[in-house]
Amino acid sequence: MADRALEGVRVIEFTDEVGSYCGRLLADLGAEVIKVEPPGGGRQRHVGPFVTGFENDADASLAFWVHNTSKKSVVLDLDLPNAKETARRLALSADIVIEDCPVGYLGARGLGYEDLHALKPSLVYTSVTGFGQTGPHANWAYSDIVGQAMGGIMTLAGEPTDPPNMIYGRQADISASIHAAQGTMIALLHAEATGEGQRVDVSAQEAVSMSQETAMQTWDFQKKNRTRTGETGSLPLKLPGAGTLKVKDGYILLFIIAPAGGDLPDLLDWMREEGKQDDLDDEPYRTIIGNMNMGWLTQLMSNPAEAASVIQHLPHINEVIGRFFAGKTAREAYEQGQERRLLIGIVSRPQDLAENTQLRERNWYVRFPEAPAGPPVEFPGPPYRLSETPAVVARPPRLGEHTEAVLAAL
Amino acid sequence: MSKKPLEGLRVGDFSWFGAGPIAGNTLAQFGAEVIRVESEAKPDGLRRAHPFAMNPDGTFKGGFNVSGYYNNFNAGKLSLQLNLNEEKGQEIGYRLIEKCDFFLTNFTPRVIDKWNLRYEQIAKVNPKIIAAYAPMQGMEGPHRDYLGFGAVLTPVTGISEMSGFPNRPPFGIGTNYPDYVVNPGHTVTAMLAALRYRNRTGKGQCVELPQLESVVNTLGTAVPEHLINGTNPTRTGNRHPSYSPHGAFRCADDPESVNSPDRWVAIACRDEAEWLAAAAVLGHAELAGDGRFNSPVARKANEDELETLINSLTRERNANELCAALQAAGVPAGVVQHAQDMLDRDEHIRARGYYQYVDHPEAGREAHDGPVAVLSQTPGSVPGPAPLMGEHTMDVCERIIGLTMDEIADLLAEGVLM
Repeated sequence: MADRALEGVRVIEFTDEVGSYCGRLLADLGAEVIKVEPPGGGRQRHVGPFVTGFENDADASLAFWVHNTSKKSVVLDLDLPNAKETARRLALSADIVIEDCPVGYLGARGLGYEDLHALKPSLVYTSVTGFGQTGPHANWAYSDIVGQAMGGIMTLAGEPTDPPNMIYGRQADISASIHAAQGTMIALLHAEATGEGQRVDVSAQEAVSMSQETAMQTWDFQKKNRTRTGETGSLPLKLPGAGTLKVKDGYILLFIIAPAGGDLPDLLDWMREEGKQDDLDDEPYRTIIGNMNMGWLTQLMSNPAEAASVIQHLPHINEVIGRFFAGKTAREAYEQGQERRLLIGIVSRPQDLAENTQLRERNWYVRFPEAPAGPPVEFPGPPYRLSETPAVVARPPRLGEHTEAVLAAL
Repeated sequence: MSKKPLEGLRVGDFSWFGAGPIAGNTLAQFGAEVIRVESEAKPDGLRRAHPFAMNPDGTFKGGFNVSGYYNNFNAGKLSLQLNLNEEKGQEIGYRLIEKCDFFLTNFTPRVIDKWNLRYEQIAKVNPKIIAAYAPMQGMEGPHRDYLGFGAVLTPVTGISEMSGFPNRPPFGIGTNYPDYVVNPGHTVTAMLAALRYRNRTGKGQCVELPQLESVVNTLGTAVPEHLINGTNPTRTGNRHPSYSPHGAFRCADDPESVNSPDRWVAIACRDEAEWLAAAAVLGHAELAGDGRFNSPVARKANEDELETLINSLTRERNANELCAALQAAGVPAGVVQHAQDMLDRDEHIRARGYYQYVDHPEAGREAHDGPVAVLSQTPGSVPGPAPLMGEHTMDVCERIIGLTMDEIADLLAEGVLM
């Protein structure tokens, strides 16, 4: 068996929705991660979707599964004096504590950073919360969409006439956990080198905010807010070879006019090979297609008269290109187009990802021979491949599965 | 000032655009010496991308050094201008790698092959190197050479299909989202795990982060739902499978929000207590007992109606005041903030000192994203301005690589260094 990068590292986590993925990253890399859960489990075990046939079973929430692989589960009621003491001994047996409780919750139970640090100076204590441990909003209630809103990314997503869009997949929680994992690793390396532990404080609002892309700097330099532009995106009008396009069984994204890979004439070659070029080999279409790229467009826009003479022909070109792709499945358009070095992306649906050629050929998906609920299943693999110390995604724990064994060894 | 925790570690940052440079940026914030290898012959596109710093007369500054996009991801790095298309340039690259603890890139395998920067090649000159590769699809496999420029990763990884309202086409989320936290953050996590392994065993290794795998791994439950339940779920807007209400609700306009006057408050009620409190703050406590809304199942069943009703109750409210009132009642709520809010008006972010300002010799005073992880004993910080293109070519060649002034002069004359 291969070595593990975090061999010998013990993590105790008091986490629910925000910090679980941080613990998962460490667990998949080989740390022993023990999740301390309240009786009945936290919120994550009770939200859907569930394994079909196991609805509302705390062991069968896929929302729990995806953020809690490779962990152990111990149930303790932290409102009981005995359990508090047990949790304290557990935490002090660890190299790392990860928690995402409301600020002050663990401190009130003798499990705060100051309490544990005093008894074990080398301990790394990572707090992953909506707004961090300090500041006027530290005690604010938080759930993922609140972080996405306050962190500045929702205002950039969606049609201008719609409400701002949330990004799917609890991305504020994910961002907080990923930043927490980086901070925890830095603190762990420091503790191993010097014996000095510390607190790592992560705010989900800040964690997601770098994903504003250029919005922050646009305000800083130009005092303008970037706004959401929906389907049109950053382009002023619907251009051939750019944008979201409906195909036979779904959607693709074209970005052929970007300065990478082939250009529109290469797309026209492909259409001609399949006899679908229509009249695009005729003027004025041929010349427009030959010229169309981002640089030419920028120039064109500075001359309104010339721009108008070109723009009137774009809908027809769009229509012919649209007809060409409408005859293909999303996967055909993606794979055939990319083989021709045309910048085309499939708008993958979950099934497309499950069947994705690259992921399958590289054996990315893993298998849980024994799932926490239901029959054996396939599951997404880890985010990275380490040649000497691979990350291994093992099944998530059933609620309290390891209570007895872990407490007996304490 | 205390020593930063990654001081003494050196990173050869052979990356460009977002995902690679941001990984280097985080390492630099915590004290690593990061050398950005770049070239005017094939410049990082972000050096030429908006937003640019402005002159006092309102015109944009020009050149390679004034993009806020680039500068924010490359703070405090050293810039070495090296032409890796030349064999001699590749030799200098190897000599730099010999002196590094980490190698970092997000170029495609096609470019890595052209520059002879495969792990097997660089491990020959530095067996202890931790080499991180973050290509879009992976270093191997049938799609390894697929183009991944810009906006394509979001649709390919499923984010576009799963995000936004179901009555809209899957046009994405307005940014190249995975570039900024998910991919660089995973990369750094893996690099530091590999460093721990090297500390214990003396062995380096290759860390590969196929961006496709990194992002699909964080795509909520979408793919497991297909693998396990055989369903093919799609986007549901701002809704949640169990929590309700859950969305962004329109408030009174704010004319002081520059070119973005519409204001929204996000509300997430995770249980009955939060819903009761929210209904009271909205001025209609009786809603909580209304048969259409008195349980999570009822609210999910009548969600269109519920959302219309809430919008009618929020539309005239001031967003910040409504948010504060909801929070005071214990309801998870937040204003949909824009950059003006984040930089100028959010008192919490200011109190925490998240944004840090540095003076850049060409761009002027500029805001940077600070370290997100706040370490109590060994904090990171924005280490300084981003480098000018090639600013440290001489320094890196002389001090780190160990070239003589004569050798440097020859390489400059030959166009290997710039």
